[in-house]
Amino acid sequence: MTTSTLLAQALVNGLIIGLLYLLMAVGFTLVFGVMRIVNFAHGEFYMLGAFAAYILVSQYELPFIAAVGLAFLFAVAVGWVVEEVVLKPFRHDELNGMIATIGLAMILQAGALILYGPDSQFMPSVAEGAIMLGGVTVPMSRLYVVGFSLAVLLVLYLFLGHTRNGRALRAVVQDTEIAAAQGIRTRIMYPLGFGIGVGLAAVAGALMAPLFSVSPFVGATPLLKAFVVVILGGLGSIPGAALASLLLGLAESVTSTFISNSIAEILIFVLVMAMLIVRPTGLFGRSEA
Amino acid sequence: MQDGKALLSTAVPTAPPAARRSPWSMLGSLALLALALLPLAFGKDFTLHLAIQICINVVLVSGLSLLARAGQVSLCHGAFAGIGAYVSVLVVMGLGQPFLLGVLAAMVAAGVFAYLLGTIMLRLTGVYFVLLTFAFGEFVRLVLLEGDSITGGANGITGVPPAALLGHVLDNKAAFYLLALACAAGVTWLLHTLYRSPAGHAIDAVGENPQLAEATGISVRGTQRYAFTLGSALAGVGGALTAHYLRYVSPESFNMHLSLALIIMMVVGGRRYLFGPLIGALIMTPLPELFRGAVETQNIFYGVALILMLRFLPQGLASLFRARRAHKVQGAKA
Repeated sequence: MTTSTLLAQALVNGLIIGLLYLLMAVGFTLVFGVMRIVNFAHGEFYMLGAFAAYILVSQYELPFIAAVGLAFLFAVAVGWVVEEVVLKPFRHDELNGMIATIGLAMILQAGALILYGPDSQFMPSVAEGAIMLGGVTVPMSRLYVVGFSLAVLLVLYLFLGHTRNGRALRAVVQDTEIAAAQGIRTRIMYPLGFGIGVGLAAVAGALMAPLFSVSPFVGATPLLKAFVVVILGGLGSIPGAALASLLLGLAESVTSTFISNSIAEILIFVLVMAMLIVRPTGLFGRSEA
Repeated sequence: MQDGKALLSTAVPTAPPAARRSPWSMLGSLALLALALLPLAFGKDFTLHLAIQICINVVLVSGLSLLARAGQVSLCHGAFAGIGAYVSVLVVMGLGQPFLLGVLAAMVAAGVFAYLLGTIMLRLTGVYFVLLTFAFGEFVRLVLLEGDSITGGANGITGVPPAALLGHVLDNKAAFYLLALACAAGVTWLLHTLYRSPAGHAIDAVGENPQLAEATGISVRGTQRYAFTLGSALAGVGGALTAHYLRYVSPESFNMHLSLALIIMMVVGGRRYLFGPLIGALIMTPLPELFRGAVETQNIFYGVALILMLRFLPQGLASLFRARRAHKVQGAKA
């Protein structure tokens, strides 16, 4: 392949990966916005979503679309219960809440280990074939990821912008007390926000399950990526997360195509540090998080 | 320079005159000493091994709690221990220098890294800082993996020479325990002294209320950078001890799991108390042994313990003792 087709291929792959980072980071930012808690268990919900899709498709032979949808609903339900039972006392308690989610992550990961063991599981591919765009090959299974991610993000956009509960959720993100004073039932908004946030992580996990292996440890890398994205984009900002996800995906894909995978990881950290020197609050961050 | 000056010339109240030593605190010290020497009396290898791990953890968690007192939480403490471990091993094995010089180099290297990093990262507060330290921990692990011509990559470095002091080679567990115990006691004493000094009061002031501290002329960032540097230097010492005790280093010994385990020890022990790291390490280090062969059960237990502790005893186990003492003082006044 010529360098230019290689570059084009890298850019396409970068966009696909960037969309997944976006799903992770938007959920992460939503949870932070509502509860002011950095959710260290976000990667574990990604893992839950991946397992749910794997089990539903390979054991119950459900269509992939249904599996992704059920994985989302399952994660929302788990997230809702976890918020009510475990995280309730830590709402708006930045540091203790964060440490509590570390405990939660340990419990979820250990639970998956007990149920499924440490070995990687492989899911059958959900779509065969590939399409050619110029010299660039895009496997159908990856196009699925793009289609689903865009659909989910569109639904989220409509929900947050055009439904009563969605607007209420945004009001809570803006200012909890004023939202409560306006008659919004914040009591419901916390578990709802947490549930939808971790549900998005589960969708990302479910979409990735056919492309990579599934194991109790798969959540660590996407969690780290979500962290990097929100640092770059500014915690709490969805446009920031969108731009940063795509930039990160592209940068990573191009570097790992032309140099190496681990150099890409190291470069990204250097990039983040450089960016912090220039703009400490991220691309779209508020001055004080 | 300016930061340092602000640290020293703060208008925080000075420490009250040292209280008369009560017979209880004497008894407490004696009990602690007896407890510390107990593993030697047992002499079993396994008991000593645990005791050594506890002492190293006390050193590591103490450094972490110093930063916590200044109001920041670091998720890369394990990475600084790793920097210390590798630097010490390279100084001793690569340059043929004595063990003590290796530990010193470990301390300085971790401290310098933290100082530089703190200059950039401490612009951020709270969760932003935590996220970035998490990323830095991962960065260090990757660099250790990638620099395999120096660090041995994923295989790590084997055959690390044992610790040696003044010509004595500490190659048995009992001797190494005495060294680790001395380090743990030394660090606890150091922090005890620091917390009573003006610099220590500045750290507490910044941790309690940064805006107020800034308003009284304390540099919040300067103070936090000072705490981060010193705390990470202690992590370097802990890492060097680990390397020369296990006589092996690898990137996986200093990954995120170590950083998280140290945070758990700190939270369980008590973030704001001198003896918090001691209590946390004493309780959480031997626990995995109860669940030997069942790592999953152990992690579930850890997670549940952590959440319950945050919920019902957010100041950690050390606060139980403090609460009782406060109660007693009140009773005496009445």
